[in-house]
Amino acid sequence: MKMSPTLQKAQENMQPGEITGDGFLGDDTRPLVDIIEADEERFQALGLSFEEVAEQLTRLLDRGREGLGEPITVDGRWLVKVDEARGFLPCPFEDGIFRKITATVTNRNNQTTVLVSQLSLHLLGHHHFLEGRGSSFRMEPEAARDVLAR
Amino acid sequence: MSLAFLIGPLAIGGIAAVLAGIISVVDSIVNNYGECKIDINSGQKSLTVTGGSSLLQLLAQERIFVPSACGGRGSCGVCKVRVLSDVGPILPTELPYLEEEERENGTRLSCQIKVKDDMDIEIPEELFNIKEIRGVVEEINDMTHDIKEVRVKLIDPPQLEFKAGQYAQLESKPYGKIKEPAQRAYSMSSPPHDRDHLEFYVRLVPGGIVTTWTFEELQEGEKIRLIAPIGDFHMRDTDALKVMIAGGSGMAPIKSIVLDMWEKGDTDKPVWFFFGARTRKDLFYTEKLKEIESKWENFHFIEALSEPTPEDKWDGEVGLITDVLDRYFKGEMNTNGKPMEGYLCGSPGMIDACIAVMTKNGIPEDKIYYDKFA
Repeated sequence: MKMSPTLQKAQENMQPGEITGDGFLGDDTRPLVDIIEADEERFQALGLSFEEVAEQLTRLLDRGREGLGEPITVDGRWLVKVDEARGFLPCPFEDGIFRKITATVTNRNNQTTVLVSQLSLHLLGHHHFLEGRGSSFRMEPEAARDVLAR
Repeated sequence: MSLAFLIGPLAIGGIAAVLAGIISVVDSIVNNYGECKIDINSGQKSLTVTGGSSLLQLLAQERIFVPSACGGRGSCGVCKVRVLSDVGPILPTELPYLEEEERENGTRLSCQIKVKDDMDIEIPEELFNIKEIRGVVEEINDMTHDIKEVRVKLIDPPQLEFKAGQYAQLESKPYGKIKEPAQRAYSMSSPPHDRDHLEFYVRLVPGGIVTTWTFEELQEGEKIRLIAPIGDFHMRDTDALKVMIAGGSGMAPIKSIVLDMWEKGDTDKPVWFFFGARTRKDLFYTEKLKEIESKWENFHFIEALSEPTPEDKWDGEVGLITDVLDRYFKGEMNTNGKPMEGYLCGSPGMIDACIAVMTKNGIPEDKIYYDKFA
């Protein structure tokens, strides 16, 4: 599928060294539009909403910040550890800047763990982008379902 | 052998070369804005530059360094200046980085404004003190599993004056897949009296461009470029009781301030320095601070671990730094209505939590100073 100028520019911004050292595409060679489309299909098949997943993980990240860098248990179910570093990261879609806040979120019932950041959750919720295969912040749709499972 | 097959490619190549030449000539005509005057701070300084480049670049050429974390690519929002002249509407690339008040008062991203005509701008006074520095890495030491100390000997200029608490922009070089230099801010951990050196604590950020370069590429003996000194986090010269809090690499500016006070003999006022970490292996520089504590009656150094392991054999304070701080406010610090000031360096989350404890225990919010890592 042909990419819009916005997607084309976003894909350029996702290359290693543009915003982060490793970039956002990992070792995925698919065009950005194909990555997003494939993950949208999988989310739909799993009955997941990008916006709801982003909202729930953002809530866990925000609660995790109460640990001041140490892991804490949230709602008796999730172990969350939040790290913060100096500075900002711009969204590769050029629609915002985000603090360098990352969190590992583990569902203690099924031991599913995901690594998220303020930026990756914005990409997930607003742009339906879960990052390319091989990227450290890549979230498989099944992992999103499992980490939030009650 | 007939070379007729070359005619086509040669013709195309020739046409392309001619077109490129035409484009170059047209560009030099269309984008020739001639001399432009930049007036800074209502006549405090006036520059004459050749227009056509970004304001950020042109100021840097004139040795006025507006801090930038992205090298002028419009992706960090740090290079803000107030532009008093009409330079056109705010660009879509600037909008995400400007608050409403900034949009109204003429604040712009200097990397996104092309200088085409005379302009008046306002910049903070302290930017005039910022210099481009060349140095050589003298030592790299591991402080913890994820923090390195980098000690730089200054070459040009050979010395730097700065206030304890300020920071520098450290520039990494291209490496691996990273094709461009990048700059990031690090507080000076060395005291100002060590004028021909600068020291930093660099904490590894997963995926971070400059921290990964520091950990995996930077070598002792390597020459590097820095921009310094920057920032307005520094100790206020009052008799108030000083409460200082740091976590991880946030130790850097506080260490600089404490060493500066000690060296100057500024030891009459009470100073309480709280350093929080998770386990013993996350602590560093504590022996030196305890040594200073043993000699400086009014200096108190409190280390606290939030989750010491049995192997740590820890008999010090335990708990989140905010909980320990609260206990000390209510007990040992014996504040008794004394005027107090807070000095914080760490993550925004830690800062916000500490501010809440400090204001609850009587430090007015306008007397709490912080370098919020952001």
